[in-house]
Parts: sequence; C-alpha cells; structure tokens
Amino acid sequence: MMEIGGLSKSYDGRPAIADLDLMVADDEYLTLLGPSGSGKSTLLRLIAGLERPDRGRILLNGEDITHKPAHLRGLGFVQQNYALFPHMTVAQNVGFGLANRLVDPVTDPAELGRRVDAMLDLVGLSGLGGRMVSQISGGQKQRVSLARTLVTEPRICLLDEPLGALDANLRERMTVELRRIRETLGVTFLHVTGNEAEALAMGDRMIVLDGGRAVQVAPPDEVFGRPATARVARFVNAYNLLEGETRDGAFVSGADRLPLPAGVHARAYAVRHDAVEIGDQAPEGWPAIEGRFVTAEFLGSRVLYFFQRRDGGIIEVERHLSQSDPLRFAQGEARVLHWDPAAAHLFGEDGRRVDAAQGGRA
Amino acid sequence: MHHLKFLRGGLAVYTALFIAFLYGPFVVMGILSFQKGPEGGPQFPILEWSTYWYRHVLGFAPPSRVAPLPIGEALVRSLTLAFATMVVSTVLGTLTAQAFRERFRGSGLVFYLVVLGMIVPGVLLGLGMALLANNLGIDRNWWSTAFVLHVVYTYPFAFLVMLAIFNRFDRSVEEASWMLGVTPARTFRKVTFPMIFPGVLSAMLFAFTLSYDEFPRTLFTAGSDVTMPIAIYGTFAVEIHPNLFAFGVLTTLFSFALLSVYGILMALSVRRARMRATGIQEEIA
Repeated sequence: MMEIGGLSKSYDGRPAIADLDLMVADDEYLTLLGPSGSGKSTLLRLIAGLERPDRGRILLNGEDITHKPAHLRGLGFVQQNYALFPHMTVAQNVGFGLANRLVDPVTDPAELGRRVDAMLDLVGLSGLGGRMVSQISGGQKQRVSLARTLVTEPRICLLDEPLGALDANLRERMTVELRRIRETLGVTFLHVTGNEAEALAMGDRMIVLDGGRAVQVAPPDEVFGRPATARVARFVNAYNLLEGETRDGAFVSGADRLPLPAGVHARAYAVRHDAVEIGDQAPEGWPAIEGRFVTAEFLGSRVLYFFQRRDGGIIEVERHLSQSDPLRFAQGEARVLHWDPAAAHLFGEDGRRVDAAQGGRA
Repeated sequence: MHHLKFLRGGLAVYTALFIAFLYGPFVVMGILSFQKGPEGGPQFPILEWSTYWYRHVLGFAPPSRVAPLPIGEALVRSLTLAFATMVVSTVLGTLTAQAFRERFRGSGLVFYLVVLGMIVPGVLLGLGMALLANNLGIDRNWWSTAFVLHVVYTYPFAFLVMLAIFNRFDRSVEEASWMLGVTPARTFRKVTFPMIFPGVLSAMLFAFTLSYDEFPRTLFTAGSDVTMPIAIYGTFAVEIHPNLFAFGVLTTLFSFALLSVYGILMALSVRRARMRATGIQEEIA
C-alpha cells in the first residue's frame, strides 16, 4: 500500500503538483486521468524517485521512501517511449534488471533464463528473445518494456501513457492484455493517461488530476456519472457544459434560462449527451433549450447530433441505435432540446459539485 | 542548363585542385623516398630507383656519411605520451561532459575555462609553462610538464566530442535502468557506456593524434628527451635526406593499416547485425 501526503512540486515557481494526497491499495488497477499540463507525468516521476518533491511524504507499506534513491524503491516504471536498451536483445533487456540490480540479483544463468522465458510467455513474446530491440514492432517494444519491469516483481508498477504511441487497433488489444497480465501477477498498476476512454475502461479506481491536485478519486462509473467538478465533467467528454449564473432561482446562460432546484446557486450546468432529448416541446417544468440542427455524426452503434444554441454554443445529443432509429433533420431546423431535471449536474462558484439535496449556497 | 554545366565544370576543377594540394606533398614525398642512396638528395630528378633509404631508416643499410635518424627512442616517447594523453583526456572529457548534462551553477564559466586550453596559442602556453617550471624549480620532462600541456590541449577536444554525444543521448534509458533497481554506477557501465562508446572512440582518436604530432607546446616543455616531431625538426636543421621521406611513408602506411583494421571490424559488426535481422525475417515468414 502506498500513501502520499501533501506532495508538492513546482518548477520555476509554477506548481506542477500542489498538496496532493492519495492512497494506492494493493492489487488494484488505478488509472490517473489528466489533461496535458495537469502534472500527471510529474506525479509519476515523483513517486518513482526521478524528481524530488518540494514538500510532502510518500509512504510505501509504512516506510518513508520520500528521499530514497530511485534504484532502491522497488517500484517499476514503464516509460512512454519504452526506453529499451538499444544495444541488447529482447531477452537481455528483460533479464537486465534481475541480473544487475543491487538488491537480490539473480546470478544463476539457468534461473535467469527461466524467469525471462516465463515473462516473455506471459506478455506474448515467446520465441522473440534473441532479436535486437531495433528489429521488433512498436507493440512488441511496448511488451518488452512491460516485461522488463514486471519480471523484477515491483511493489507497484507505474505506467506513463503506455498505450499513447500505439495505433487504435493495437491499443484495444493491449487494453485487454494489460488487465490480464496485471490480474495474473496481482501487482498494483498506476496507469497515467490523457485519454478518458482508456482511464474509464481500465481502472478499478480512477484519479482525476487537475492543476496538480487529485480532484476526484472514485471508481470509473462514479467519475463518469457524478463528476466532482465542472472540469472533470469536461475531461470525461460526455457532458454538455454550460457556463452562466444563477438569477431568480434559474440558471441563466446566454439567452437560455434553465430552472434550478430551490436554494441552489450554480455557475456551471452540465447534462450528459445521452440524457438530452430532441422534441417539439418540453414537458412542463423540464429544462429546455432551443437549438438549430448543424450536423450528425454516425458512430456505428450510436449517433451524435450537433445543435447550435441561440448564442452560438453547441449542444451534443447522443442516441443509441439499439434504443431508437436514427433521426433526420434538415440543416438549420429548430428543435427543442430538453431533459429530466434530475439529469442536471450543477457546479458552484469554486467549480465543485452542488447538490439540490444539500441545498447549496444561497 | 548552360549555367549549371559551367558551375559543374568549375566545381570539378576546384575539387581536382583541392585533392592535388591535399595529396601532392605526399605523392612527392613517396616518390623521393625511392631516391638512390646515399648519394641522392631530396630533389628531382631521381638518379636511380632504390629502396636504400628504407633500409637506412630500419637500420639495415651499411654505415655511411648520413647519420641514422635519431627517432627510435623519440618514437617510443611520442607513442607513450600520446597514449597516456589519450587515456587521461578521454576520461576527463567524458566525465566533464557527463557533468554538463545537468545545469549547475557556474557551468558557463567552467565551459570556457575548459575550452580555453585549445584556444590559447600553443607557443605562448609552452613558453609560459617553461617559465613557470623554471621559477618553481621543476625539471622539464616529456612525461611531466609536456604531458600536462598535452592534456590541457586535447582535453577540450575530447570534452566537446562527448558533449555532442550526450546531447543526443536519451536519458530515459538510464532512468529505466535505475527503476529496475540497478545502481547509477552500474547503469553507467552497463547502459550508458556501451551506448556512448562510438563517441568515446572518436574522442580517443582526437586526443591521440593531436598529442602525437603536437609541436609548439612540446618544444618548450619536453626538456632534453625530445618527442618525434621535435626530433624530426632537429634533423632539418642539419641537412635533409630522403630517409625522412621513407620514414614518412612508413608511418603513413602504419596509420592506414590501423584504419583498415578499424574499418574491417566495423564492417564485420554491421554484417553481423544485418544477418541477425534477416534471420528474424525468416522467423516471421
């Protein structure tokens, strides 16, 4: 188990990680989602020991490792660019850590070979051990990089955008593979990514990093269904996010007025793409916005419709084709977009979620 | 098109002249080294073709009025000095370049201090070193005062070569090794060094050749036991015989032999890598 407390790091006075707290459990797949510049690579490098924090502590199984050198931490780190040793074969790359590490090196060649072969099997590279790393494909390099780290049995394996450099097809296969390998070994993965779909699909838990802070730590379905801040709602890329202010018990954004629960004061209003309905008229008391049809995007099992609001903003509406037939609209056709008031997510002055039940602030 | 033809012709002439001036002296030296001896002098025409001067250099010729070249000991000294300089300068240059991978306080100043060694005119440096040694009562020797100046002179070259190598070096590879539990020292030996080795080789070649034919710094600081370039210069002062040319041809051939061995080794390693690559293609098929 790893505990991080009050971790801070700034570069030239600009904070990259600000007072971050985090708990990483044993045997879990944790994904860390953050836009570029959110400090996610910095966090990983701080945990790995490749950067020194300005403040804060990192405890690994109760031991303070904040100032321990990287090679004594017993953590694994799979780099984004793979960083394979170019002058070695695949098998030499995988066996390098085992044979050369300071603590408990494996000196028996037979034992080394056996463990390297077993690991190559696990990542699906059996028989490729004799190749030079310049002579294998990108996906294979990714697996070598992973195997090289996992064979040393790290206490936690840090992965820096491991799928970022792979093409879409390979990425989907590796997604499944990564989960399988992790479950086989029972090692904790901390997987950093800028891709919301990857973070949602892979993690047992998910951390959303924003401005150097963990703004939400929760299972993916909760991050997706109940984003903690307006910016989280933006990162998961499934919400229409309206900005405006509360006046006379209603949310005013541009030319539109949306009813609010009593006593709630919101600055941002989010509604999921698939919660919006398209019609001629909204049911009594439902929030509604008038939009002119711009275009539709066919995505196989679902269709995204784009409507333009009176003040120019775009509202996206998602409809699953398993539940309804595709709709046809004329260019510029005006429709009333409406949704169940319960589908509204409201965010206050500080960007944090405000719930009707809590009453919010007056 | 017409212009292009003209330009091409011009460039061809330019290149021909360049090559003529580059190799002309060597060709002349090569021809004159086969002059008849011991009567023939270092000028045309060739009285009669002979290998007399080669035998003279190697000590097989019968004694004559031309004294043998005093190069035996000087050559050993020069090679020893060049080798020691090469080792020290390459190690220093590599370590300094390694330090410059991180920005540190005063790095700009240190950079110029190191590079100063190759900018300051050699004659001044040699003279200065000689005066300093005299004032401090230190004997001037090829292995002490001259050696120090050789290192001062070649170290910046080795440093700059290694700096260029480290500029292109991907440090995430080292980080990967540390994260596998390998100490920084072992990482340097097992990962960094093999990757920068071609650069180290270039730095070594630079340091060796620069030291081997260094003249002005050595002239003032080597004391009475001189190095090769100075020994040869010393024979100019008396009279020039074609045995110098024969010696020049022999050293050049020696250099070519070394380069050929280097080239063959490189070619072999490239072929091995390619064979491994084709072996893989068969595996895929």
